[in-house]
Amino acid sequence: MTDRSTAHATFTVVRDYKARPGRVWTAFADFEQKRRWFGGPDAAHTMDFRVGGEEICHGVHEGAGYLTRVEYLDIVPERRIVHAYTMDMTAPGEVSARRISASLQTLEFEATDGGCRLTLTEQGVFLDGLDTVAQREHGTRWLLDQIAPLVEG
Amino acid sequence: MSDVFFGGFTLERRYDARPGRVFAAYTDRGIKQRWMGCDTVQSPVIEQLDFRVGGREVSRGPGTDGVDHRFNGTYLDIVDGRRFVFAFVMHLGEVKLSASIASVELLPDGDGTRLIFNEHGVYFGEDGWAEREEGTAQGMNQLAAWLAQKEAA
Repeated sequence: MTDRSTAHATFTVVRDYKARPGRVWTAFADFEQKRRWFGGPDAAHTMDFRVGGEEICHGVHEGAGYLTRVEYLDIVPERRIVHAYTMDMTAPGEVSARRISASLQTLEFEATDGGCRLTLTEQGVFLDGLDTVAQREHGTRWLLDQIAPLVEG
Repeated sequence: MSDVFFGGFTLERRYDARPGRVFAAYTDRGIKQRWMGCDTVQSPVIEQLDFRVGGREVSRGPGTDGVDHRFNGTYLDIVDGRRFVFAFVMHLGEVKLSASIASVELLPDGDGTRLIFNEHGVYFGEDGWAEREEGTAQGMNQLAAWLAQKEAA
């Protein structure tokens, strides 16, 4: 049992977009918009955007399979989303998935002079050393960057 | 401008009972019903406890504050006898109070158990983190009293 561990960590990513909050909100709330930046073209992805609704996305990245499972807990239109999500990974060459994290994520949308400030706060439980906070934060920043060309057009 | 309050805490306790008994106290509905609660909500009723990944736990009870307190949680990770991770939302009456991610980890400690409880999350509208930590500590005291009583019996 000595290989079992949990690491509890919080990180915050702030990203400014040259678009109204409503436009950035749609990138999260509308499935056709969301699938354009989250999951990749070959991902299996379903979304039920309402409190109590689930979103499930399975994709492959550098040979590893990733399953993200989201439950929406709080939605304030054009202002805030709170959800819990887990991530499971199947390493290249393996067949079974392992849960690598369980997190609470809060997204706040704020109007600014330039458009919209998105503040993402993740409070995560990282399991058994299978992912690091630094990697997760890096990946999250990368994802938020993918929204910019979609909403700033 | 934000009306969300991020916070969290860690509590550690040692119990004079083996990990298996402590784990069962949290995960067996009949046992948990006998000890859970805190000073504000002394006798919550467990309406559902489905201890498996994806399973729900729902409980409610009247508070000394005159309001109905409701807990609605989902189990996100389970290592049998060792740990579980869950996300949950608390409501006071109709008002959504908070959303959290929490973990319970159990380690053998001589003839007893070291329990580590972690919670992180977000309060809506007002900062209740000090109260949450206190209430959780009260619950852990109630567990200690129940375990001691059963041991002596």
